[in-house]
Amino acid sequence: MLLPKFEYHEPSTLEEALQLLSSLGGNAKVLAGGTDLLVRMKQRIDRPAHVISIARVPGLDAIIPRNGHRVTVGCAVTARELSRHELINDRFTPLAIAASRLGAPMIRNRATIGGNLVNARPAADLPPACMVLNATVKLKSAKGERDVSVNDFFRGPGDCIIEPHELMVCLNIETPPPWSGGSYIKLGARKTLEISMVNVATGLTLEGPDGPIVDARIALGAVAPTPLRAYGAEEFLIGNKPSEELFQRAGEIGVGFCSPISDHRGTMEYRCMMIETLTKRCLERAWENARSWKP
Amino acid sequence: MSEFSVLNTRAPRIDGPAKATGRAKYADDFIMPGTLYGAILHSPIAHGKILHIDTTQALKLKGVKAIATAKEAGIVKYGVSPARYDETLYAYEKVRYVGDEIAAVAAVDYATALEAVNLIKVDYEELPAVFDMFEAMKEGAPQIHAEFPGNLNAEVHQEFGDTAAAFAESDLVVDHTFLNKRQDAAFIEPHSCLAVFDLDGRLTLYTSTQVPHYVMRTVAMVLRIPVGNVRVVKPYVGGGFGPKCEATPLEMSAGLLSRMTGKPVKMTYAREQVFLHSRARHQFYAEMSLGVKKDGTMMALKNKAVLDGGAYTSFGIATVYYSGSLLGGPYKLKAMKYDGYRVYTNRPACGAQRGHGGVAHRAAFEQLLDMTAEKLGIDPIEMRLRNIMQAGDVTVNELDMSSLGMKECIESVREGSDWDKKKGKLPKGKGIGMACGFFVSGAGYPIYRSDTYHSTVVIKISEDGGVATVLTGSAEIGQGSDTAMAMIAAETLGIPLENVKVVSGDTDLSVDLGAYSSRQTLMTGHATKEAAEEIRSKIAQFLSDELGCPVESITFRDGKVFFDGQPGNFEKIRTQFIKEHRGWTDPPSGEYLTFREAARLAFLKAGTIVGTGKYKPPRLGGSYKGAAVGTSPAYGCSAQIVEVSVDMETGEITVNNMTDAHDCGLAVNRTLVEGQMHGSLSMGLGECLFEEVKFDSRGRILNPSLGEYRIPTALDMPNVKSIIVESLEPNGPYGAKEVGEGAIMPTIPAILNAIYDATGVRISELPVSSERLYMAMKKTKEKE
Amino acid sequence: MKTIISLVVNGEQVEAAVQSNTTLLQFLREDLGLTGTKHGCGLGDCGACTVIMDGKPVNSCLVLAVQANGRNVLTIEGLAENGKLHPIQRAFVDKGAIQCGFCTPGMILSAKALLAENPKPTEQEIRTAISGNLCRCTGYQKIVEAIQEAAKSLEGTEV
Repeated sequence: MLLPKFEYHEPSTLEEALQLLSSLGGNAKVLAGGTDLLVRMKQRIDRPAHVISIARVPGLDAIIPRNGHRVTVGCAVTARELSRHELINDRFTPLAIAASRLGAPMIRNRATIGGNLVNARPAADLPPACMVLNATVKLKSAKGERDVSVNDFFRGPGDCIIEPHELMVCLNIETPPPWSGGSYIKLGARKTLEISMVNVATGLTLEGPDGPIVDARIALGAVAPTPLRAYGAEEFLIGNKPSEELFQRAGEIGVGFCSPISDHRGTMEYRCMMIETLTKRCLERAWENARSWKP
Repeated sequence: MSEFSVLNTRAPRIDGPAKATGRAKYADDFIMPGTLYGAILHSPIAHGKILHIDTTQALKLKGVKAIATAKEAGIVKYGVSPARYDETLYAYEKVRYVGDEIAAVAAVDYATALEAVNLIKVDYEELPAVFDMFEAMKEGAPQIHAEFPGNLNAEVHQEFGDTAAAFAESDLVVDHTFLNKRQDAAFIEPHSCLAVFDLDGRLTLYTSTQVPHYVMRTVAMVLRIPVGNVRVVKPYVGGGFGPKCEATPLEMSAGLLSRMTGKPVKMTYAREQVFLHSRARHQFYAEMSLGVKKDGTMMALKNKAVLDGGAYTSFGIATVYYSGSLLGGPYKLKAMKYDGYRVYTNRPACGAQRGHGGVAHRAAFEQLLDMTAEKLGIDPIEMRLRNIMQAGDVTVNELDMSSLGMKECIESVREGSDWDKKKGKLPKGKGIGMACGFFVSGAGYPIYRSDTYHSTVVIKISEDGGVATVLTGSAEIGQGSDTAMAMIAAETLGIPLENVKVVSGDTDLSVDLGAYSSRQTLMTGHATKEAAEEIRSKIAQFLSDELGCPVESITFRDGKVFFDGQPGNFEKIRTQFIKEHRGWTDPPSGEYLTFREAARLAFLKAGTIVGTGKYKPPRLGGSYKGAAVGTSPAYGCSAQIVEVSVDMETGEITVNNMTDAHDCGLAVNRTLVEGQMHGSLSMGLGECLFEEVKFDSRGRILNPSLGEYRIPTALDMPNVKSIIVESLEPNGPYGAKEVGEGAIMPTIPAILNAIYDATGVRISELPVSSERLYMAMKKTKEKE
Repeated sequence: MKTIISLVVNGEQVEAAVQSNTTLLQFLREDLGLTGTKHGCGLGDCGACTVIMDGKPVNSCLVLAVQANGRNVLTIEGLAENGKLHPIQRAFVDKGAIQCGFCTPGMILSAKALLAENPKPTEQEIRTAISGNLCRCTGYQKIVEAIQEAAKSLEGTEV
């Protein structure tokens, strides 16, 4: 399969990259891992006249812990790096699990968190995980910068609030409080190389190892035009003691927030039923993870 | 000491190092100076009249060297079975599916060729299209081929024995229906070819094919070149599995464009085009009734098949016959009735794929057997054992089971899987299931009506005596036929395997019908053995004349010559050999005369030592219509037991392990036989759980990619315990018969029967996605 | 307009002028004549195009040649030294892990990358490492066995 012709730019500083985006904006696409953009270009779904690679821009590919309160994840950090990073596995578990389930090993070696978020596919793996972690996306442009919550980031399939002249440079995630945990589950046909039929990320904070739930976050993917938070189900959980029945009920509430489509991967009815089941399971796993929290 | 010195071992395949180092060249790896690149224009609509084709803009594009349409190609009807030549290289009045070929372009590079394709303007009058085989058979459906009213491409009606009487005598009659979906062979190497039409009017076609011989004939016929002026050379092939068993528009276009431009033309399908071309597994609908006695004895089978054949016939005639004939065994039946219909639809044409027309109906039948066994309160294995045929039995449709290790296969898997400890004792959500199957070891008749030999082989001993080269038109496509032929030659000649070379896949070398219907081990094997025997007897005769000993006393083994099993007195031969090799640092020494010395001196006396072998099956089968399809000199058979786990809350299925026993007569190479078993099971698992070619309402394929058409990954495929059963087939060389396709037969039903065991739900529609199973379980629960 | 790239391929320094829309796969096969790396799908679905870039296996059909500038690329042709098979290649040959051979270069390189960082992988880890390499011929079992065999023979040595 052939790629269409385009002009290639490889800025070596962030300023240069932002200048290019400023001038080329709507006619350019940012290239990070390429596992999504290059596929779409080969299929002639995207035909940007300019491609701006951020491979040589320094400082975008690091995971930087900040005093135990926060972590900054550069936009060019790959799924592989996320899945293996000790801190991400330990404190930001849903993100590590989601990253480990993205595609297959070769894809994970190239796919980046920036690409996975900005491409805004409804079935993408990393957005639900970022959402339950209440991550903030930092967008920079030649004119300035802004921080946007991941929960306000997505607008529709392939559409997010990033402007053509902006670059997502990193993600900031506050470290969840003690007795927090989370998980991620993905349903597909095969055991790997899958685009989700339904995916769920959860985060729970308990009062103590046996305590009631003080905070709950549930994000669902592939069941609406964008990944979404099931706020109503989250509210339902708060203040209650965790149990399978509780989580089952939360799953049932979560279904109400979804508008899955029927397509050749699965019908609407099945997706709704799976949201229920997988939300319950993902909450159970988040609970396990939270109970085994260590300082 | 083993009976064999080369056969039945785990010798590493002879082309392994080339493939492991990247040195093996496949069709797309060839480069020639001046090569042009070709691209094909496909119809974007499913059914329509072609009103006008305008290539003027495309021809003007810089770099375009030639464009061919039906005008340049001419109208020559071709296909697979001469009885149904229903396609032309390019559509000339109508297009019949999304993907139908309309034109081809040759240009200086691939990008230019593609751009030119987009500049070809075609005016269509779109016609209503029909995509469902049942809809296509109805009154008033769009007619796809004028010569075939009702879109009925082929109809089969056969009855063996008196089914009405046999049903009347039955204590129980059980009915069943089954539906699979169109599948794709999904070989990892897309079709690719390089055509070189040279100055004296000869075409050489390097192409990724399973059947150089059939491609040669079809290309010659369609391009109107004398057959002798077409040479097809098969390089390494990255998998075939059936769809590469016929000449493709890619090959014919490349040949035509090469003739038009006088330059080599290379053409490779993009993955999407592989799906558009298809020639892969049909969709089958099966409707069956089985009549049995209450002790489980099978009496009568009534079997109906409706096949979605797509827009052209391809292999379809054979397919629709196989859906009936391949249920004649491996169980004894008093009577069998079969009605088969192959229907045209406005979709890509379906053809032969591993197991051919037998797979879906075998799946349906093995489910039906399980259902029947359950109603009678008989264990599924017991049910099979009570009914299986034995070596020497003949099926109701006159297929001769000259060897049949069915009992041993069943008992091996029963023991190997711990069936008795598990059946009926697994917790809910876990299940164990079994099934059997059998398959031809080479079709009894060639695809075109002919008395041709099915395989011919030439073996030449190098003049220095050291190397035997096997020259064969047979096709090594990954299954290991080159290695198998080398081993048969080595064994027969009595020389080590490393002294045998194989040159294959080239129509200049010999006639061989190619790698399909699991024929090469038996048929090419016979011809190889015969050629080697001729050489052996020539050299033995020479030794006999030279040394004055009886010919019958001379044997060869491990590169040595034995005279009544003894070293004998061969001084004069060795002396003469050494005299010729002054300066060599490794003169022959040792107690025994070597094959090399004998062969060298035989050359000095008689000239080049060559042996030829040939094989065609005897006249097989009954005299009823369609009797040819299903005939074979031998039949392989197998039994499989599969264990599954079902996630009862989502319907997700995991196949935990598989135990497979296959009777291949004699394993020429044990590792290669296991490899075929594993590969068959892997394709069966994929077809059962994931694989389906999906279409939109306009006949366009929704999932023409390996991302959305899902074949098993290493995380989906469990470990397989493979058991080789050797029944020593009298019609096979050294007792060998097939394994390449028969092994897939039991896989789908074994998984389906295991799912039933795990969940109490019987799924008879493929693929068994988690949704399909989940919804079925839900429905069952609601009914309770 | 073309860009000059400079990279190491199979231990040799290579310099070339490439179009921006040339993939690393095309560059290796067509410009360098290294046809051991295969084109199976072009979309990253099959893994036949796997090469090791800077120590990690990637789908070369989804890497631009210009992105490989300054990098270290290993293809299947770079494995055997002085005509002698690498232990992983040897194991694939001996264990019957090769049938049609089209997925083999990608499989071997994924195996090499795995064993370089995890010399004693479990069966599950092996299957995960090759989960992006599709094979239609072997059902994976003998490939897994070959990698296990290679792990044993490589024990204590550099992969």
